[in-house]
Amino acid sequence: MKTSKTISRRNLLKGIALGAGAATLAACAPASQRPAPAEAPQSEAATQPAAAPAAPSGPTEIVYWGFSGGLGNTEDELVKMYNDKNTGVTIKREVQGNYEETAQKLTAQLAAKSDLPQIVLLSDVWWFKFYRSGSLLPLNELVAAQKMDTADFVDSLWIEGVRKGVQHWIPFARSTPLFYYNADMLEAAGLEARGPKTWNEFMEWAPKLVQKEGDTLKVAAFAHPGAASYIAWLFQCVAWQFGGSYSDAEFNIKLLEPDTVRAGQFYQDTVNKMGWAIASQDVQKDFVTGLAATAMLSTGSLAGVLRDATFRVGTAFLPEEKQFGCCTGGAGLAILAGASPDKAAAAMQYIDWATGNEGGAFWSQNTGYMPVRKSTAASESYAKFFEERPQAKTAVEQLPKTKPQDAARVFIPGGDQIIGKGLERIIISKEDVTTVWTDVTAELNREAEPVKRDIAAMGG
Amino acid sequence: MKSPPNNQNLIGRIRRDWREWLTFVLLAGPNLGLFVIFTYAPMLNNVLLSFQEYDLIRSTGTWVGLTNFQTVFNSSQTGRILLNTLVFTVASVGGVLLLGLFGGLLLNQPLRGRNAARSILFSPFIISGAAIAIVWIYIFDPRFGLLYTILKWLGLTSPNWLGDPNWALLAVIIVYIWRNLGYATVIYIAGLQAIPADLYEAARVDGAGLWARMRHVTLPGLAPVVFFLIVTSILSSFQAFDLINVMTRGGPANATNTLIYHLYEMAFINLSVGRAAVIALALFGLMFIVTLLQLRYLERRVTYA
Repeated sequence: MKTSKTISRRNLLKGIALGAGAATLAACAPASQRPAPAEAPQSEAATQPAAAPAAPSGPTEIVYWGFSGGLGNTEDELVKMYNDKNTGVTIKREVQGNYEETAQKLTAQLAAKSDLPQIVLLSDVWWFKFYRSGSLLPLNELVAAQKMDTADFVDSLWIEGVRKGVQHWIPFARSTPLFYYNADMLEAAGLEARGPKTWNEFMEWAPKLVQKEGDTLKVAAFAHPGAASYIAWLFQCVAWQFGGSYSDAEFNIKLLEPDTVRAGQFYQDTVNKMGWAIASQDVQKDFVTGLAATAMLSTGSLAGVLRDATFRVGTAFLPEEKQFGCCTGGAGLAILAGASPDKAAAAMQYIDWATGNEGGAFWSQNTGYMPVRKSTAASESYAKFFEERPQAKTAVEQLPKTKPQDAARVFIPGGDQIIGKGLERIIISKEDVTTVWTDVTAELNREAEPVKRDIAAMGG
Repeated sequence: MKSPPNNQNLIGRIRRDWREWLTFVLLAGPNLGLFVIFTYAPMLNNVLLSFQEYDLIRSTGTWVGLTNFQTVFNSSQTGRILLNTLVFTVASVGGVLLLGLFGGLLLNQPLRGRNAARSILFSPFIISGAAIAIVWIYIFDPRFGLLYTILKWLGLTSPNWLGDPNWALLAVIIVYIWRNLGYATVIYIAGLQAIPADLYEAARVDGAGLWARMRHVTLPGLAPVVFFLIVTSILSSFQAFDLINVMTRGGPANATNTLIYHLYEMAFINLSVGRAAVIALALFGLMFIVTLLQLRYLERRVTYA
């Protein structure tokens, strides 16, 4: 006679163990996999809308993945302004999270080939990855059909989204780092309420700004962010000021060049040897709550800082060392390659408005991001705005002196975090700068390989 | 000597077997199908991915042999990440088991308000990890947080919990234990209630004191529950992702970077799916070995009632 076999606790536990382990593995695998040799991304002709773009004929709904959090609230108002105009195009704004989360969701949806938006907000370090994969629509024809005045865009911002003469990423929420200072604290320390001209000058100021309680810093002269808060973006400017860089445009990593090592050593010394700076979890919070007298922050933080600070806030150009150095940053708008010609044209209509004199002015004045068009910055509304908020003028005045970022940070997948984690090792773990930069260089070189291959396959 | 079965019997048996087989397929089939589609096929896929340089956006890959394995195991970060994973697992599982036992023993007593206490203790377990992490970020704030205030009352200064690499892992472990304590406590209570009361009476008659009753009745009686908790807690602590992602993102300076977080980072920040697959395999292997060792060596000591 057969005996029936009942499950034992032992078997159940084995099953759970196997199931849990398998689930971990399963979580890593993409939904579908089609192993195939690496191929060049779809050619641009293949990703162009089938017909010549034309103005949308009927009511068209465009899905847009945009900002989350406080900036998302402002963007809700922006979208509402546009939708209230009844142009025949309705924008449906959806939120996926921060820049990284938006890019991850987009990656998943592209693999699944479903539920894709028409417009997506992509940060400086993410758009290129989607361009490489042929996921972004080439925009030249749409720009021409929309009669957008491309010469009106700030040149340095416009050219960042151009590859091989074709626009793929239109500047929208663009920023630069600014030097923020607590004017009340500077004056209380017997200093002028202005930004330092050079880092040497700031090193003279710093001891006067520091306040200690025993061994603990009660007020630091300056605050550095962590890797998660884009320290690699801000330090890039300092590397340039010291005469160094992360890399050249051909992905030759320059971290071990003497000036970049010197810049890294300077950052470490500000926290450890000189002891006037802190490694902060949240620089904006530490600045507005008075824990740090000064900080480098994005122009995009200006509205939040002015709203929360209970002291006089000043903004200045970044300090110089060997030279001036400041990069651009932030995010732009892209249209996905799968959009139908009608939807693509409608999407471009919105982008034109949102970056233009009406939408763009509202957006930049209410966030702190820079006006991306020259005519917006020169408009009457902006003249009035600068009177009310002189801090915002610094960003616009500094803009002509900025330059696009190093390839190592923006074009290498994970480049920003690889460099950022290296900086954490330098500042927080006090590791030797050359040792850290050697490790980071090796990692960047490894990660750059597929990008270089793709760029070669795409013809530049 | 046995006589051969006649045809009638044979047909009957085949029918019965067929019917049993059909019942089995009907009952187990759907579940098995789901397992194959959503667990085992992706698992196999993961093994294939570990030998490829895979582009997640384009869904294309090239075979690179063992390169991904070499890169992951030669990385200067791997040692640190493995150590973090080990410390996190041992400390969080140990903490949950010991404090849970204490909670279980306490809340198994006929105390006033014990049902309310059980519910309160269990509630963190059903709250979203991200929400818990956000609340604890405020609690840990070294200048305004609740812990800062408590430590100040005691005349102590608050460490920079999440900003100092020497404290950050401990901070995450504390939150993990706090979140999972209620679950262990409830399981312990169930285990305690399953121990027959007459065993305690017999022990008392034999003159056993509190400690002797604990040692010779309670702990052996709880052995199956402890074993269950050890296995499930270790598996879930290996996979603790939400708290780390929201509280520290593996930082500062890799201080809280564990295998599961590193896997995410590799796949979705660096877009290096092949290497992420290697990390997933390593994690699977580690969990598999730990569980096998537990079943081999630990379960021997367990007596099921």
